[in-house]
Amino acid sequence: MALQETIPWIEKYRPRSLSEIINQEQIVNSLKTILSTHSVPHMLFTGPPGVGKTATAHAFASDLYGGRYIEDGHFLEINASDERGIDVIRDKVKGFARTIPIGGIGFKILLLDEADQLTSDAQHAFRRVMEQFSATCRFILAANYANRIIEPIQSRCAVFRFKPIELEHMRKAVERIATKEGLEVTGRAVEALYEVTEGDLRRCINLLQTASTYSKRIDENLVFQVAGLAWGGEVRRLLELAAAGKIEDARKQLRLILYVNGASERDLIGQIYRDLFYLSIPEKKKLELISLLGEVDFRVSQGANPELQIMMFLANLYSASQAGK
Amino acid sequence: MSLPWTEKYRPRRVAEVVGNDEAKKQFEEWMRGWERGNPSTKAALLVGPPGTGKTSLVLAYASEHGYDVVEVNASDERSSEKLKTIVGESARQTTLGGTRRRIILLDEVDGIAGREAAGGIATLASIIKSTRTPIVMVANDPWSPRLAPLRESALMIKFNKLRQREIVSHLKKILESEGVHLDEEALAEIARRSEGDMRSAINDTQILVSSRGATGSLLATLGLRDRQKTSFEVLAEVFGSTTALSGRAAIQGSDMEIEDIITWVCDNVLNQIRSPQAIADVFKMLADADLHHSRVKRLQRWELLRYVAPLLGAGPGVVKHMYGEKGVRFEFPSTIRFMQQTREQRSLVQSALAKVAAKTRMSRTKAASEMLPFLAEMLRKGEKGVARYFELSDEEVKALVGLGGRPPSEAAPAAKAAHPRERATRPRQTRGARRSP
Repeated sequence: MALQETIPWIEKYRPRSLSEIINQEQIVNSLKTILSTHSVPHMLFTGPPGVGKTATAHAFASDLYGGRYIEDGHFLEINASDERGIDVIRDKVKGFARTIPIGGIGFKILLLDEADQLTSDAQHAFRRVMEQFSATCRFILAANYANRIIEPIQSRCAVFRFKPIELEHMRKAVERIATKEGLEVTGRAVEALYEVTEGDLRRCINLLQTASTYSKRIDENLVFQVAGLAWGGEVRRLLELAAAGKIEDARKQLRLILYVNGASERDLIGQIYRDLFYLSIPEKKKLELISLLGEVDFRVSQGANPELQIMMFLANLYSASQAGK
Repeated sequence: MSLPWTEKYRPRRVAEVVGNDEAKKQFEEWMRGWERGNPSTKAALLVGPPGTGKTSLVLAYASEHGYDVVEVNASDERSSEKLKTIVGESARQTTLGGTRRRIILLDEVDGIAGREAAGGIATLASIIKSTRTPIVMVANDPWSPRLAPLRESALMIKFNKLRQREIVSHLKKILESEGVHLDEEALAEIARRSEGDMRSAINDTQILVSSRGATGSLLATLGLRDRQKTSFEVLAEVFGSTTALSGRAAIQGSDMEIEDIITWVCDNVLNQIRSPQAIADVFKMLADADLHHSRVKRLQRWELLRYVAPLLGAGPGVVKHMYGEKGVRFEFPSTIRFMQQTREQRSLVQSALAKVAAKTRMSRTKAASEMLPFLAEMLRKGEKGVARYFELSDEEVKALVGLGGRPPSEAAPAAKAAHPRERATRPRQTRGARRSP
């Protein structure tokens, strides 16, 4: 190849084996025991984003079947939020679990990522699929919240709760990458990374790679700058425009975020929530806005129009920030 | 009753078409372009209220200049197939020469409704690009969002309602040919009731004459037609409502879709209302209307629909009135323009997103929030290697780099850290607070 590819670091430094998984010692130990016995249960991996749920599922499959676990047809990953309904998922499972590959160990593994994105009706249907194919297929479900998974599924799975990444573990992960990539990352920068990513290792690595395009020496200021540019910046600008009364510009910014950037309204509302605390408006107004945002969040989750509901919130933010003057 | 007068007295020459002189001139000019072999646009879009002579003008021009008119009803589901065949045929015929020339007339293009709408209009737009036969489209509501994709490729010719005296004098001519008489007062009443619609005026006249009793009382029995209100008329009623009752009537008297009304009203709030508290109040009511509407849709609870109309129809007007707001300017919804302007960028971002999601095995939504912001920032810094890894095209890269909408001054890493912790320690230092003393 004439031109050099840059592999995203989250791919480049993806753990290839359970022994490379950080921060989840207990889970890794349990999984290693399971590996040695070859008696694999259905499993439910829960925990916040970026703590290694998907990575662990892949590492487990790799240790179980060898490095060509995907190519050899032992392992299939389906993303629940990408598939149009449970019928499509059922067909995919059927196509995958119908046969047992030669040289295998008697069953395949199917990873259903973002399983909590399925409605509870779809989850009930999926539970039947699990039963139907449990002879030839083990299921790993990954989800942010266990309580969004229906109990009949939880009771059929061994549940593994992934811990939030600890600062020291993030430090080790960053240092490992820094050494290989020839970066100098200051101690304060690691703390900054931990703080802005809220312990999300995937975000941390993405942020680190983005920062490295600015400088090989990464300090806390650079981390904050890049974080501000890459995400949150858009949303903070949205709130600042509304608070300053530039409500038409705010509307345009809102549309850019929703329709062009392709962000989900869920993420947008979440980021508004995080930024809201730091706006300079009277605290009582702030509390009222937090409650209002909760209402917007619920309405949007129930099918209301995101642009209109968030505009309503921004108009109230505008009004509240004027009242504070 | 013999032939309907509307057909019997259909104009045979352009000069016989009543009123709308400007539109007639534009249309003739456009057709002359075709005859010279260099039309300014491949299609013309004649828009205006019913009965103002749109179709008549096309038929009159055709009969005067020796064209065959091929009529296709656009709201027919299979019209685009039909259209392709006709456009194809016509193209071949013109190359052979000798056959009569044709005009393709597409009626009711704003009636292409429901699921087929987007696809139908898109097919139409692509057919227009390749046609070698003039395509004339006819529509009523010039602001119908469905027409947006066509507006770029077609010459828009506007028709206005006819004046009362134009209608009266035309009715007199018809009555003269028929050898009957109606008194001036009755004609004026017919013309007034027609609200500028020649077709309905002619129909009413024919009914009156055929029932041989052209009296005022008979006239009164002719029902008033329900007229479709334009989007702007609905807006004027909504922002003019001062009671819940009149607001409800504004919505119920309109046949626009609720979603469309919400879009039109929301996008005009900021033109109409300035005070922060009033803006907040109006959006609160509109958001509530949307909430009730979303329940109707999601739960199929149709009985809840009645809560939408008063909030949507009266909220803006009542608040506007309460705060003494004087806004008068109504605009075409900015969201429609926004979507048109960003169409290319949006589709490029989506195709880039699909590639990134596939390679990182994330859902698209997750890839949008987890990968895109960093990817865009790296690409902005000229890191081309990641683009190669994800096999992004140059156009996709350009679209991603363009994401964000930050002002140029902020594009370079700013000196001030933009982070919660920093802002928490210096709470008065957010940008909004500093600008206003």
